[in-house]
Amino acid sequence: MLKYLMAKNEDIPPGSAAVYFGFSAITWFVIGTGLGAFNAAKLAFPDFVTGLEFLSFGHMRQVHVHAVIFGWISMAFGMAMMYITPALGNTRLWSEKLGIWNAFLWNVGLSLGLTVLWFGMTSGREYSDFPWFIDLYIVAFIAVPLGINVWMTIIHRRTQGIYTTNWFFGAATFMLIIVFIVGNLPEYFHLTGLTEAYLTWWFAHNVLGLWITPVAAAIAYYTIPKVTGNPLYSHRIGHLHFWSVVVFYSTPAAHHLMSAPLPEWLKSFASVEGVLILVPAIAFVSNILLTMQGKWNMFVENLEVRFTVTGCLMAIPLNMQGGFQQTRAINWYIHGTGWIVAHAHLALLGFSTFLEAAAVYLGLQTIMKRKLYSLTLGNIHFWLLLIGFTTYWVSMTIAGLIQGAGKIYEVPYIDVVIAEHPYMIARWIGGSLVFTGNCIWLYNMWMTARAGTVVPEGRMPHELAYER
Amino acid sequence: MSWRFDAPLVTLSDDATTKKNETLWETEMLGGLTEDNNPVPAPVVWLVFLTVMTAFCVTFPLWGQRPTAALYAPYVNSMDKPEVLAAKDDAEAMQRIVAMNKGTSNDALLERHPLTMDDLRLIKDQVKALEAKHVDLRDYTVVGDHVVIANFEGNYRPDGTRIRQQPWWDKGYTIDVFYLSYFFLAVFLMIKRLPPTAWQPRHGHGASH
Repeated sequence: MLKYLMAKNEDIPPGSAAVYFGFSAITWFVIGTGLGAFNAAKLAFPDFVTGLEFLSFGHMRQVHVHAVIFGWISMAFGMAMMYITPALGNTRLWSEKLGIWNAFLWNVGLSLGLTVLWFGMTSGREYSDFPWFIDLYIVAFIAVPLGINVWMTIIHRRTQGIYTTNWFFGAATFMLIIVFIVGNLPEYFHLTGLTEAYLTWWFAHNVLGLWITPVAAAIAYYTIPKVTGNPLYSHRIGHLHFWSVVVFYSTPAAHHLMSAPLPEWLKSFASVEGVLILVPAIAFVSNILLTMQGKWNMFVENLEVRFTVTGCLMAIPLNMQGGFQQTRAINWYIHGTGWIVAHAHLALLGFSTFLEAAAVYLGLQTIMKRKLYSLTLGNIHFWLLLIGFTTYWVSMTIAGLIQGAGKIYEVPYIDVVIAEHPYMIARWIGGSLVFTGNCIWLYNMWMTARAGTVVPEGRMPHELAYER
Repeated sequence: MSWRFDAPLVTLSDDATTKKNETLWETEMLGGLTEDNNPVPAPVVWLVFLTVMTAFCVTFPLWGQRPTAALYAPYVNSMDKPEVLAAKDDAEAMQRIVAMNKGTSNDALLERHPLTMDDLRLIKDQVKALEAKHVDLRDYTVVGDHVVIANFEGNYRPDGTRIRQQPWWDKGYTIDVFYLSYFFLAVFLMIKRLPPTAWQPRHGHGASH
């Protein structure tokens, strides 16, 4: 892939950037979940790997979070954008070369960023832990080039209309740049106190709300109609979804700070908007599930559809939790507990990961014109991911409720630690299953590239029978 | 791109615009994908309506209020009563204080924000000092061992002081009402510019009537 860095744009085969992004994403997923399992082991077994500062939980947690968000999730998004955006516009990607450079600089920047986090150089702001120079690098060499490629591809489309997925892609790439510039202002100008706290959570909220959630949903709007062959159920619901994400997801950042001395009216405003996050969720889930009409057999038979529908179904508990846990009535109990960690994993490892995994499976097979090497390994990957995630989510939710009770009733901290110990072990087991599944996935996709059955021109990979 | 307003619940586009849209919709293949023109299903409309109602109801500050100095003033004033002073230890003293202050509208709040005798000792002098100044104790919040002016910004009283109490409705909700109204109006205008839902595209064909 690196040979294309210096090639002329017209000499680069279409889809090369997407393949580069796709394999990078899977590799970061393996690394990120490996680090996650390692961190979980440290919580389950406190004597596991001690004495090395750079392997301490405080350092490693940041590396895990950023490897997963900016390596796996965001590069999978990049992969999806590199092949879905031109496909929906009946055209080629505006610049394969820019895409290749984008993926290359993304890997370089992320490696650099994770290295500095590993060695303790951090802003100390959750989710925006990268120091300011990495933030600027991400804007200049990751977000802006990605946005330019997506916007220019949409502008140069050969269709009059723009399909729903591309509304989301175009808007989300723009918002990612804004979120990174504005959300990291405290680092550039040394803003402190409430301003820093608010902007920290404005960043964290909107990375989820204006980047991860809408792009993951946009992918499903492509995957399900493409694989099932059904028309998207309703263009109108697409409008309701898109605009409710823009309006309701961009505003409730203050609900992350319900116990902070922010103006109460701001919390009231944010809290209502927080519940209204259910509006885009209702629109998304209903549109996708109604599109599945007459094709529910594919939920069992087709790997991409199974991943997508599972991710879509996870949007229901995700948004029920997200909508209500931020209200004053509930937040006082679960704030600062493992419940929130469980919720974050439901969003990133559950909902969005399942949708992106489908896009990567479908995209790599389609672009490489190779049928998946092994359906069995694909199925094992799916079930390890689902069982591992569910084990993690359930155990951390219970641990969070225990911590909440301990917090409110002032139970001695060490008693809470002892009470939640079994759930920490379950968390480690769940995370390890996910990591194992991802190693299998990387092998399966590598073998697909090398030895997958060739898909004839004009056919989709899922139209061919599996050979193994 | 002309508008019509004679049947706003059906469509806001004139016949020529609708015809043009239908033709485009039926002939254009977006990377092999197509879209249908189904309405937003009634259960989804009801769910959205229910969500909006719930959003306001569940976030009213009737729940999750911070404890005010007024909430704990009766506890503080009970500390020096003989039956409390006669308790054998702090736990029993606290039980007696709680028992003698039950039966008020603050029962639920007090249950959600329990204190120990040590907590009460830390805030006792601060509450007494505020009582001596004859200020409204509801304007003060108890944060750990500090009794501080609450960060609400209500109306001014005739004496120039500001009401610092959590209202059941504040300007955050007012902003929400306007914000929501604009949103639903904008989405309504947008989707009603589409062809009527009675028409469904026959994908891959020309426009039909």
